[in-house]
Amino acid sequence: MDKRDPYRHNVLTSGHRACSGCGEAMAARMVTDLIGANAIYVNATGCLQVFTTHNQQSSWQAPWIHSVFANAAAVASGVEAALRARGDDTPVIVQAGDGGTFDIGLQCLSGMIERGHDILFVCYDNEAYMNTGVQRSSSTPHAVRTTTSPPGRLSEGKHHLKKDVLSIIAAHHMPYAATATVAFFHDLKAKVEKAMTIKGPRFLQILSPCPLGWDHDASLSVSVSRLAVETGLFPLVELENGEVTSVMRLKQQRPVQDYLKLQGRFKHLFNSTSTAETATGNANGAAEIRHLQALADARIRRYELLQAETEWDTVRASQVQRHGRGGYRNTGQEAAS
Amino acid sequence: MNGLVIEPGSTLAYHTGDWRTQRPVYRDKWPPCGQTCPASEDIQAWLAYASDQKWEDAWRKLTERNPLPAVMGRICYHPCELGCNRKQMDSAVNIHGVERYLGDMALQKGWRHKPITDTQKTQQVAIIGAGPAGLSCAYQLARRGYPVTIFDNQDVAGGTLYSGIPEYRLPKSILAQEINAILELGIQLRLNSNVGTEISMDALRNDYDAIFVAIGAQQARVMTGLDNSSHSVMAGVDFLRAINTGKSIQLPNKVAIIGGGNTAIDAARCARRLGAEVTVICPQEPHGTQPGHPGAEIPASLEEVLQAEAEGVRLVYRAGIKRLVRSGEHLSGLEIARVDRLHNLQGDFKPVLFEGTEEFLPAGFAIFAIGQEVNWKGLEAVIEKPANNITVGGDAAGKPRFAATAVGSGFQGAMITIASLTGTPPVYEQHEKAEITVKQLHLPYYPAVIRNESAILERWKDNVELVTGFNEEVTLNEAQRCLSCGVCFQCDNCWHFCPDAAVIKNDTGYEIDYDYCKGCGICAQECPSGHINMEIVTT
Repeated sequence: MDKRDPYRHNVLTSGHRACSGCGEAMAARMVTDLIGANAIYVNATGCLQVFTTHNQQSSWQAPWIHSVFANAAAVASGVEAALRARGDDTPVIVQAGDGGTFDIGLQCLSGMIERGHDILFVCYDNEAYMNTGVQRSSSTPHAVRTTTSPPGRLSEGKHHLKKDVLSIIAAHHMPYAATATVAFFHDLKAKVEKAMTIKGPRFLQILSPCPLGWDHDASLSVSVSRLAVETGLFPLVELENGEVTSVMRLKQQRPVQDYLKLQGRFKHLFNSTSTAETATGNANGAAEIRHLQALADARIRRYELLQAETEWDTVRASQVQRHGRGGYRNTGQEAAS
Repeated sequence: MNGLVIEPGSTLAYHTGDWRTQRPVYRDKWPPCGQTCPASEDIQAWLAYASDQKWEDAWRKLTERNPLPAVMGRICYHPCELGCNRKQMDSAVNIHGVERYLGDMALQKGWRHKPITDTQKTQQVAIIGAGPAGLSCAYQLARRGYPVTIFDNQDVAGGTLYSGIPEYRLPKSILAQEINAILELGIQLRLNSNVGTEISMDALRNDYDAIFVAIGAQQARVMTGLDNSSHSVMAGVDFLRAINTGKSIQLPNKVAIIGGGNTAIDAARCARRLGAEVTVICPQEPHGTQPGHPGAEIPASLEEVLQAEAEGVRLVYRAGIKRLVRSGEHLSGLEIARVDRLHNLQGDFKPVLFEGTEEFLPAGFAIFAIGQEVNWKGLEAVIEKPANNITVGGDAAGKPRFAATAVGSGFQGAMITIASLTGTPPVYEQHEKAEITVKQLHLPYYPAVIRNESAILERWKDNVELVTGFNEEVTLNEAQRCLSCGVCFQCDNCWHFCPDAAVIKNDTGYEIDYDYCKGCGICAQECPSGHINMEIVTT
């Protein structure tokens, strides 16, 4: 057991094989430490499963199970039903990447929600199949370079738009669904803690930057995820029973270029070689940047990110305090045996 | 786990630290407030204690370098606040307000200075001058176990702090209490003892193992080529000394002050309090009109000038005096003219006046505050025959002549004296820490808090202290505005953001578990105060 840190359990402990600066490892460590070791974690196939369970070694200091790619939500449904039959209220958590949520795991997730299982489903959204070498997923945003959506003379990266999975989830009229990201820890913490007080199916989508697939410096994972929120490309929202109940207000909207420029997966937009539409060089890249800006503007308008009356905004939520603002309550808690 | 075929191990067995090409290191930096403090106070450190309401710890940290916080919190021109990085975000931390609160609290609670060592030294040290430099030096030596005797030719200790600073800026009772707290360390004080005339320097050298000379710059500079030796003319320092020692002075209706320094403004405000109409003839330009040319603007501090103007003192800028106009013995006024340039052809400070711009300024009394010089009478040997065990400090050692510079000079004098007594090189605690600028800070992480200002009383005619102090709540709020540049304030960012659980939080801060740190650099990137360095791994 890892008992190095008196202030944190480290449910996801050190020695895992995630890349340097991995946003998903950061997000999973935050979420699992907020929930604690006294829970059963069901993992879909994906980066998180691969880098934490390697060659007879596990990084998990809590009960953890992996079956196959598609069925994490179904496995968790079974675990939850069995616990319920025994009168055991141990929380059940599903962890999946965007592949295991948006694409391959979507129908099991939908079934889990429809049957009303008391499960928290956490999606670590890094916007592509990173583990297998950065292939596009339905979560990959428009105009992104992946190995299966390469930019070139006739293409500016992924042609299709990012799937709005939150609206699909919301259409189930489930008790709680929210988005979060690693840059705003205290927002993430509030959402995890709120989710853990609610019974029934709950869903959390956490934007998790991937230095490898997004092609940014390993030290910029937090900065990039903060910019995703500040530009409006990734709104932080909460939905209860299908209705938007709270958003993170943007103190100031940043232009999408600030976000795009840090990432190699958008580099081709600033150095466009496409001749598909016009012969004036950068026209296509510039057009895609305008398109991404319009998508951000549409999301800001849809969730009223600039007007909403909320206690928090992107500036206040970032601010730190001397001696911290608190962290994890599950200090020193032992894993369920 | 008996049912399992394979007993699972933990990934803790696999040390990901060897993937690393650079590693984070926690390193304290030296913030600009400390860099610019003439007394080299570790301002960030005592503000940190104050932000935790550890008032006594804050006072003890502050008094490591400056034993006069209640005095300096009132009169220092706080160059620390000019350097403060918070200026780039909203406005500088009100450092002097917090300093004054700590000094006043120490006096109120009766906190006593503590010696650094228990071992009593036998080598005797004499200090000439009980001003800020002498007191500071005596304090540092006494805390280190040396028996110290201070000689002063006045009947009250404090030097220029006593004779040069009016009651409305520094109440005499505050000064006396802080001096007493210093003397309580066992320092002998011999007042009315004029070294050089009554006590010879040779006698002092026989009786003491080392001497620190801090006689200040007490002698007024005299303007040449003027009939200023007779009636109705006085030097600024002498005028202020008379006021501060309670002598009664009768002034005519109109008074002119010549000079633009703090002594000139102090003299003007004192004359105003005696009921006179006061005009200050200042050779320089007003504040803020010559950016980038500090010598071209009035040297008196902006706050003092603004307060003087609010009290009705009139300032005439870029003007110099040509002659005193007398009818018989009686002074009827001054002939003033516009200043062409401040320095003569030899490069000395001697305002050159434009021909044909003369005007008459009626005045029955003229006060010259054009600078002070060191009076070496009886102590010429100090200059002529330098010795290892004789050190000169404070205003007597040169410029700039600010109280805080004198306090810093006293500390250095003590270190040099100890070095000469022990035969070791002097220890200044030179800061080896890297300096930090605003570029290394992550300003969006800090909450916006508006600077707190002291209130200024409107009742200036009563000759009571004008600027009011902070209460505890305001002081705490102000101390917490400190950005803690380059020093950890335990915000938890590195701990929250480490993807590898390689930052371990403990009761005093954080440490990095290099067995697992992959060197991604997120902790350094997201550290608000620039405390974390990424260093290249060479092996």
